[in-house]
Amino acid sequence: MSSKSGNVYGLTLLCPIIDDPGAIPSHDLQIRAHLAKLSLGPDSPFAVAPGTHLARLVVLDDVIYVGAPSCEEHLNSKYLVFESNCDGDRDSYLTGLARKIPDALDAIWSHCVGYPDDGARNIPAFLQYMKRCEIETTFFFAPVNDKTRTQTLVALRNKAYIAHFIASHQGKPPAEIQRNIGALYARLKSLPDPEPAAIQVSRKMATGGRNE
Amino acid sequence: MSKLNASDIQGFSLRGYNLPFARFLFLHFTNAEKGRLLLTRLLPLITTGQLWDKKPDATLNIAFTHRGLVALELPLATLISFPPEFQLGMKARGTILGDVGLNAPDHWDKVWREDHVHVWLAINAQSPEALTTCFTQMQTLLEETGGATLLDFQDAGAIPIDGQFTTKEHFGYTDGFGNPDYLGVCRDTQPGQGKLMPGGTWAPLATGELLLGYADEAGELPVAPVPHLFASNGTFMVYRKLHENVGTFREFLNESGKRYGTGDDKTKEKLAAKIVGRWRDGTPVELSPDAPDAAIVNDPNRNVDFMFGQDLAGTRCPVGAHIRRTNPRDAFGFDGRLVHRRRISRRGLPYGPVAPPEDQPVDPRELDQADRGIVFMALNASLSRQFEFVQQQWISYGNDAHLGNEKDLLIGHHGEGERFGIQGDTTAANPPFFCSNLPNFVELRGGDYFFIPSITALGMLAMNLVDPR
Repeated sequence: MSSKSGNVYGLTLLCPIIDDPGAIPSHDLQIRAHLAKLSLGPDSPFAVAPGTHLARLVVLDDVIYVGAPSCEEHLNSKYLVFESNCDGDRDSYLTGLARKIPDALDAIWSHCVGYPDDGARNIPAFLQYMKRCEIETTFFFAPVNDKTRTQTLVALRNKAYIAHFIASHQGKPPAEIQRNIGALYARLKSLPDPEPAAIQVSRKMATGGRNE
Repeated sequence: MSKLNASDIQGFSLRGYNLPFARFLFLHFTNAEKGRLLLTRLLPLITTGQLWDKKPDATLNIAFTHRGLVALELPLATLISFPPEFQLGMKARGTILGDVGLNAPDHWDKVWREDHVHVWLAINAQSPEALTTCFTQMQTLLEETGGATLLDFQDAGAIPIDGQFTTKEHFGYTDGFGNPDYLGVCRDTQPGQGKLMPGGTWAPLATGELLLGYADEAGELPVAPVPHLFASNGTFMVYRKLHENVGTFREFLNESGKRYGTGDDKTKEKLAAKIVGRWRDGTPVELSPDAPDAAIVNDPNRNVDFMFGQDLAGTRCPVGAHIRRTNPRDAFGFDGRLVHRRRISRRGLPYGPVAPPEDQPVDPRELDQADRGIVFMALNASLSRQFEFVQQQWISYGNDAHLGNEKDLLIGHHGEGERFGIQGDTTAANPPFFCSNLPNFVELRGGDYFFIPSITALGMLAMNLVDPR
C-alpha cells in the first residue's frame, strides 16, 4: 500500500503532544478546546488552504483496554492525529498549508513536541517536522476519487443542478427540454468554481442511538 | 438450543395471531398494591406461545412502559438496569427517530401527549362479539380490583375486501410479509425469512435478536434488566400509531403516475410498486419487475425469497424502495451479514374506516382527515440497535444505501426540496424517475416503548417478587 491513490495523497501524522505537568490546562486539553471551536464552514483553515478534500484532527489520549482476551497496553504519549486527503504531492501540499494558514497551524501544533519554535513560517523546518511525524496511509476517505478538489466541487454542483433540471422537466415536450438543457449547459459553464465547504447540508441527526 | 419454552413466552412475542379484530387498552396504575392485584387476576388469562389445537375466540397480552414499572414500585436496581432508551421512552427519543414537525408530540393523540400510559393490554379476536366479551371482562376486572384506570383504547382490524379479511393497509398495499425466523421458535419457516447463509440458503436468526436471555447474533446476551429471571423470555415493543394521508397518497400517485413512463394506469401501479418494492398485491418487484404475479404472492416459498445483490443499481427494485431500505438483505455486501443485527418483528394492524375505492371521486382532504392508518408494533431485543437504527439510518437517511440525505418516500418525514429517485434503465417501460415536492404520506399520532414480560416475569410482578439481588 502507499500513501498515494492516483492524484490524491493521503497524509497521516502522529504528533506527540507536550506532556508538561506544570501546564494548566494541559496541552492536550488546550488543543481540544481550540479544535472544538474550529469552523467547519468556508472559513475553516483547511477550506482556506489549497487542495484539502478532507482533514480530520483527533486528540488520541491512549488506547483503551476493553477487557479479556485483549491485553492491556498504553501509549507512551498523547498524540495529535492529523489525517488529510489532498491534491498533489505531500511537500507542495504542506508548503501550501504553511503559506496560507501559518497562524492556524501554529495555534494547533505549538502544543506538540518538537514543533519549530518559529512555527510554520519557517517552511523548511516545518516541512522537516511534519515529515518526521508521518506514517503511511493505507485507507482513504471512501468518496475520494482521482479528481482534484475543485473538479469534485464542480461535479457535485453540476449534479445538483442537473438533478433539479430532470425533476422539473420530466414529461415535458422534447423541444422544450432541448432548449432548456442548452440554457442549463451555458449557465453551468458560466458559473464560478464553488468555494470549498460552502455547501453545508444541514442534517439534524441526533446522537445517542447505536449509530455513532 | 433446540426449542423454547413457549408456555413461558407471551404468544404475541412469538407470532402474529392473524386475528381480524383488535383493541389495545392503555391503562394507568393508581396504586401499586391494587395494580399487582389486577396483574394477579390477569395472569391466568394471558395468551402464551403454546401452539393451538383450535384458534381461540380472543387472545390477551400485556406490556409495560418504564413508567408503569416505576408505578408498580419495582426495586430501583431493576428499574435502572433497563436499557436507557426504554427508560427514556419514545417521546424523549424523538430527535433520534425523526419525530419532529408534523410527527412531533404536539400532533399526537391526547393519551400519548400526556405521559400517563403504564400498560398496553391487547385483545385480538375472531369477531366483534368476542372482542366485546373480552373487553367487558377487562372492564369488570378493572372495577373489581381498582388496580388501574382505562385512559383510552385503540381499535384496529384487518381490512375486508369482498367479504374476506386481507392483510392490506389503507394505501392498498398487501402488508405483513417477511418477519424473520428465530432459532427455537416453532413456526412454518419460509425461505428468505431468516439470515442468508453462505451458499444462498436461509437460517433462523439467533433467539437473542428477539428474546432477552438468549445469545444474539454477536454471541452476546442482549442488554436486559436484572434479575435474569425477570428479563428472560421477554422482549421490547415499539408501538406507533401511524396516520395515513390516503387522499394525499392517491393524489400523488395519480399526478406523478402521469409523468412516469407512458403515464397510463399501468405505470401508476408500477410507480406504486417501485416506491415500496412490492406491487400493491404483494408481488416483490425484485422477482417480477414488469407486472404483479399472484402465483408468486401466494407461494410462501417464493414471496420473501429474493436478494438485491444482483440488482445493486436498483433497476428492478429501487435502492430506496421501502422494503429494500428496511431489510437490505445482501445489498450492502458481506453476504448480508450487516443486516442480521437490524431485524425487527412486526405485528401491525390497520385502524380506522376503510377508504372508498380509488375510482370513486372523493375530496383528498376529506380522505386525509379521516382517522385511519396503521398501528405499527415491532418487537426486538434492543430498541436502539434494531428499531431505532432502522428508523434513523435507513428510513430517515440514505447514506448506507449511497442515497445521501434521501428518505423513505412512504414513511419518511419530508421537508422542502427533498427528492426521491427511482432508478431505471434505457427501456421505455422502465425509465428512471425523480419524485419531487414530496408530501408527508404518514404522520405519527403517538406511541411508546413497552416491555413484554414472560409469563414468569408477569407472575413476579403480580406477586411482588422482583428481587435484583
